[in-house]
Amino acid sequence: MLRSCASRLRKPGALRGPLGGTPPPARGSRPPPVSPGAGRRERAAGPGCVWGEPRSFSSEVIYVDHSLPNSSWSKDMRLLFDQFMKKTEDGSWKRLPSYKSVSPQRIEELKTFFPDAKPIKEHMSQAQLFPRSLEEGLGFEYAMFHNHVENRTVCIFQGGPYLQGVPGFLHGGAIATMIDSTVGMCAFIAEGIVMTANLNISFRRPIPLCSVVVINSQLDKVEGRKLFVSCNVQSVDEKTLYSEATSLFVKLDPKKSLT
Amino acid sequence: MIRRCFQVAGRLGQHRVLPAVPQVLPRLNPTSAFGSSTDALVSRFCLKKTDLKDYALPNASWCPDMLTLYQEFLEKTKTDGWIKLPSFKSNRDHIQGLKLPFGLAVASDKSDWRIFTRCIQVEGQGYEYVIFFHPSKKKSICLFQPGPYLEGAPGFAHGGSLAAMMDETFSKTAYLAGEGLFTVSLNIRFKNLIPVGSLAVLKVDVEKVEDQKLYMSCIAQSRDQQTVYAKCSGVFLQLQLEEESSQ
Repeated sequence: MLRSCASRLRKPGALRGPLGGTPPPARGSRPPPVSPGAGRRERAAGPGCVWGEPRSFSSEVIYVDHSLPNSSWSKDMRLLFDQFMKKTEDGSWKRLPSYKSVSPQRIEELKTFFPDAKPIKEHMSQAQLFPRSLEEGLGFEYAMFHNHVENRTVCIFQGGPYLQGVPGFLHGGAIATMIDSTVGMCAFIAEGIVMTANLNISFRRPIPLCSVVVINSQLDKVEGRKLFVSCNVQSVDEKTLYSEATSLFVKLDPKKSLT
Repeated sequence: MIRRCFQVAGRLGQHRVLPAVPQVLPRLNPTSAFGSSTDALVSRFCLKKTDLKDYALPNASWCPDMLTLYQEFLEKTKTDGWIKLPSFKSNRDHIQGLKLPFGLAVASDKSDWRIFTRCIQVEGQGYEYVIFFHPSKKKSICLFQPGPYLEGAPGFAHGGSLAAMMDETFSKTAYLAGEGLFTVSLNIRFKNLIPVGSLAVLKVDVEKVEDQKLYMSCIAQSRDQQTVYAKCSGVFLQLQLEEESSQ
């Protein structure tokens, strides 16, 4: 089943998340879910959005797509978002929706890898996908776009006031989380459920808190079950290089459990 | 001073910076070349008399493993030279009276900004952690319990949260051991997932200090050391903070 998901993902233009749309259980990488149209949405999907076949599902839980502009987004962030949305018009780029938590189908799917995971009910009431667990504007504000021809995932990211490290600057761990999420998404879209094995980040310049950066990630090569993904973090005008990273992901083997 | 800065720029070497972008440079003070002793840094950092809330204290969400180890290390603060580091809601609170060198200081550092690892305020939901530091051995132990808001794979902590915890432990260790301020690099090898609500013990050692950089290693394990969660090496750049009164 997972293999067929992965092969569907590889078809150009058929970018869709796995059933119920959640992120791969990437260790270190928890990319925002690429979700098909499950459940109701509070905000309407814009053009270029990714939808799979609609699935019927309990409508008790409303899945809100957080990768859309909200009042906390700065002018830079909105401009960048619009620029990328324009790019989605010809079909080469797709915007990836992003949710706070895991859908029930996804949890079932992932259970094969994590048989010791806690029961679903406990999760649904408490757990939140880490980069989406803070309130609007305070933490990670981001949207991801994917180009399936070039195997590139771009994340526009605005780090909020609760992500501080050195006073006035973004915490290295927050940068690491977003880099991991972006390269993880790139790996996941290419090969399905993956986990982070290595993450290697060089910090060149500190990122001012509340500024907007662009994380460009690229799938460099695939060797068997290993995926090599690299990325850089730049300012909006591309004149400042903030960080660079290389990473290694491993495609999970459905036959083996991890715990 | 500019000339000296450029000489330092040459030495920093691996910092590849795009042209026309002014480089971030440490300030060299020949009279006290990164001379603030660890003891001086520690006493300034660990404000004894303060109204600030210390988040690195046990609460109802701490699992039994965490409480037990905490007590063990608390005993060691009396006998073996360990120090429990306080954890305030912003790094600004830890460096009162000090500021970043000119060119780096941010004019508007708002009071409601929080340190990332204390971003989730609900007890037990986010990062629960406490760091113990040993000044003479230049090492740290961090007891870390990830809550459900740090989830990645269902039931397990997001790798990014562990990366952040490692970076944060490196950061405090680097600062107290040698005025390390900014992360230069992190190299993380993930081995196993940390179940949400369980304890991970992070051990950090300073391997060497060279060319104004502190090189540290970290291993994150289960309490019984049977499971290794991740190994990491980190490099921090030394940068001296200035007294706020100086211009």
